[in-house]
Amino acid sequence: MDFRFEIVWRYAPLLARGMLLTVWMSAVSIVIGLILGLAVGFGKMSHRPYFSWPMNGYIHFFRGTPLYVQILIVHFGLVPLVLGRTDAVVAAITALSLNSAAYTAEIYRAGIQSIDRGQREAALSLGLTPWQTMRHVILPQAVKRMIPAFGNEFIVLIKDSSLVALIAAPEIMYWSNAMRGQYMRVWEPYLTAALLYLVLTYVLNKLLVYVERRL
Amino acid sequence: MGKRNRWLMLAAAVLLLAAVVGCGSNDKNGGEKTYKIATDASYAPMEMMDKDQIVGFDIDFLAAVMKEAGLSYKVVNVGWDALMNSLLNGGGGEYDAAISAVSITSDREQSYDFTVPYFESTNMILTKEGSGIKSATDLVGKKVAVQGATTADTLMSGIMGQGSADLKRFDSNALALLELDNNGVDAVVADIAVVGEYVRNNPDKHYEGIVDRTNFASEFYGILLPTDSELKAKLDPAIKKVIESGEYAAIYEKWLGKKPDTAPLLKPE
Repeated sequence: MDFRFEIVWRYAPLLARGMLLTVWMSAVSIVIGLILGLAVGFGKMSHRPYFSWPMNGYIHFFRGTPLYVQILIVHFGLVPLVLGRTDAVVAAITALSLNSAAYTAEIYRAGIQSIDRGQREAALSLGLTPWQTMRHVILPQAVKRMIPAFGNEFIVLIKDSSLVALIAAPEIMYWSNAMRGQYMRVWEPYLTAALLYLVLTYVLNKLLVYVERRL
Repeated sequence: MGKRNRWLMLAAAVLLLAAVVGCGSNDKNGGEKTYKIATDASYAPMEMMDKDQIVGFDIDFLAAVMKEAGLSYKVVNVGWDALMNSLLNGGGGEYDAAISAVSITSDREQSYDFTVPYFESTNMILTKEGSGIKSATDLVGKKVAVQGATTADTLMSGIMGQGSADLKRFDSNALALLELDNNGVDAVVADIAVVGEYVRNNPDKHYEGIVDRTNFASEFYGILLPTDSELKAKLDPAIKKVIESGEYAAIYEKWLGKKPDTAPLLKPE
């Protein structure tokens, strides 16, 4: 197989710019997804049905429909409704955050519910308030269990962000597609894109291992 | 019970026989090679799906050419990536050629061969009435949507700069047009057939199509071949013959609704 490095080299400045956008969009979406997911997760665990039902529906919708379609709905429906025009980066971050929140919500729930019920009972019987129980007994242990699952979710999010090339957000995959179109070659653009995503997920993984060790 | 079984056996035997006979009749040009031609049927009116059938200008044109060349063939909708990959590096993949409104460009000729050109393509600007846009150079500083990897993409990359953030490349013209509808861009640049059809079908949107002969030079489609394909010698004369005969004009009118100007296609090289 001949691999023409010179066409990769010619696209290198554009791919570098695309990589920066991928990092920026993924980072913002991860943060928003974590915050939004916390609200959705606690909402779902609530015993009040007017909290738990909508949050349950939210999780069902965003986990149960293709991200591909969600990106299109946000870009051509939601964002023009609010801004009066389209904006690919805003739509990309919105869709990725909303999608990610559905998964992080379940990670929060799984982490919290994995702590033995007896600990909560013990803490409450020692006179701690429900909030103190959560803050000092449950969460410190639960967060440690959540980290590997969050790591998984962040890595998936970075790779899924390649789907937003669909709405012409100029990230890694967008420029790979441009390279593919100009030269009508398959492997130079796709393998280059794969390598760039591998670099990003590798760095993120190292970061997560570091965090996990510190906790 | 036994009687019914016997009838079933007979029916099965008849069906089996029919299947065998059916196969036989399909196979009558036995030793001759059936060429497999790839396409990406998502570019109306050149090639598209009509339910499970591949139809369009390219499909009818290919039929005329293959008949002229006396070759048997089969068109398969494989999508853009498989199409390219199969013909790279001198071929040897599953497909022998591809017809998919592929423009002949020097960048592509580094990796593939093309037949002689069979279709002249010009681009057109689609914008809102009263936008003040008169030519392609007016689009500099404005936001423009195109379908990526088309001639429109190549032309606008040249005019606006390849790395321009104002040039948005979509996977299909349908999405590029939707972007214009949602005020994401000021104009769409696409094939004259696409723009013309959109303006005609959406009179309530008050769009206009702008022709720009100076900035939008014609580009030509060719059938895509692996380098040094034996098919080139067989297809080139057949393509010329089909274009010279009235057959080309009839297919052109059927899919594009007007008469072709075949002079640029037939001029000596």
